[in-house]
Amino acid sequence: MPADSNLEILMAHYQQGDFSAAAILIDRLSPQLHRFFVAQFGSRADVDDLLQETWLRIHRVRHTYRPSEPVLPWFYAIARRVRVDHYRKSSRTTARQQALDEVSEIAAPVSPESGRLEDLAALLAPLSEGEREVIEMLKVEGMSLEEAARATSSTVGSVKQKAHRAYKKLRETMSATAFRKGHSGELS
Amino acid sequence: MKDEEIDDVLRETARSPHVLKAETLQRISDSIKTSLRPVRPLPPTWALAGGLVLVCAAVALAGAARAGFYGIEKMDSLERALIFSTLVVFAWVVGIGFVHEMVPGSRRRVAPGALLASVSGLLIGVFALLFRDYQTSNFVSAGIACLLTGLLFSVPAALLAWLLLRRGFAVNPVSAGLVAGTLAGLAGIGMLELHCQNFQAAHVLVWHIAVVPLSAAAGAFVAWALHLGASSGNRERVTRK
Repeated sequence: MPADSNLEILMAHYQQGDFSAAAILIDRLSPQLHRFFVAQFGSRADVDDLLQETWLRIHRVRHTYRPSEPVLPWFYAIARRVRVDHYRKSSRTTARQQALDEVSEIAAPVSPESGRLEDLAALLAPLSEGEREVIEMLKVEGMSLEEAARATSSTVGSVKQKAHRAYKKLRETMSATAFRKGHSGELS
Repeated sequence: MKDEEIDDVLRETARSPHVLKAETLQRISDSIKTSLRPVRPLPPTWALAGGLVLVCAAVALAGAARAGFYGIEKMDSLERALIFSTLVVFAWVVGIGFVHEMVPGSRRRVAPGALLASVSGLLIGVFALLFRDYQTSNFVSAGIACLLTGLLFSVPAALLAWLLLRRGFAVNPVSAGLVAGTLAGLAGIGMLELHCQNFQAAHVLVWHIAVVPLSAAAGAFVAWALHLGASSGNRERVTRK
């Protein structure tokens, strides 16, 4: 199976039980999915486990992908469900868990690209969860409006609305940050 | 700050390479390799939606066969044509919606709540156009009997619909439950139109149509409860490990 085959063909081979296609898909899509989770959670803690959980779920429901359909929204829809399940589970666990997370966050090695991703998470922090994932899919992962709508189980209109609101908030936040920087520069 | 500048900041992040640890990828590959075997993809949407329409029709016909076809016998041909063609079209549209809820990454044209509201609203419109008897004799007692009968027949329709789509995967279980309940409610209302010979407008508009939203609400609740049960079961298994 050539490594540069398109994702839809790879997915069809994966459904036929071809391990090399599965391995190429894992190599090609894991960084994207990992970045999706980091941008949503703002840290790398638990993200490796979430990625593995996502792949296990993808593997369990791989028959639900239909060869004529775009593959990225299918992957992201499942990743979203894993994220929502994780969010619900973690919101039930309280301070004890939080303390452990802080320890693991401190212990996690920080690479240059992880710093960049945390910048992205900080930039997207003022947005709601839905707005954040739409911006991430459209602008960072380069998905179309139609693909983002499929991945988020919503309509194209709703995705456009979320993107519009997100841009409004980002404009305000970034302008305020630029103003503060300029102002502190003048004072110093 | 302009939108283009925000785009640049986001694109800059997208361009940065995101490298994962080789052992993470290896662990994922290994966990998949052990259980990798060929799988049969789900049938096309039209086939599954057609199956769901047949399920609804079969449940409604079986119910009316047991209780009697008094309603359809009393209707004139215009009423028969309008009511049953409307129900079939709605079952088809809602069936497609249910299939989309059970296949991740499917195109969604209408949100499940809006679908339920449109179906209920349009049914009110069609029934209000056809039934012009404005008496209200035995409004509550006859109404509750019809409502319970409709809901009773929506249960097997929901179970059969779930059986047909059991290989699917709902990324949003509550939405999937709501749409499945709407579909089952249409089977229940179909049974009532075949059977019930009470053509009073208030009776049909209130008690027959109420089957659809109530069945949808029950579907959403059951899906939510099952999902909650499944996730707490998973948690317990993880804790025991």
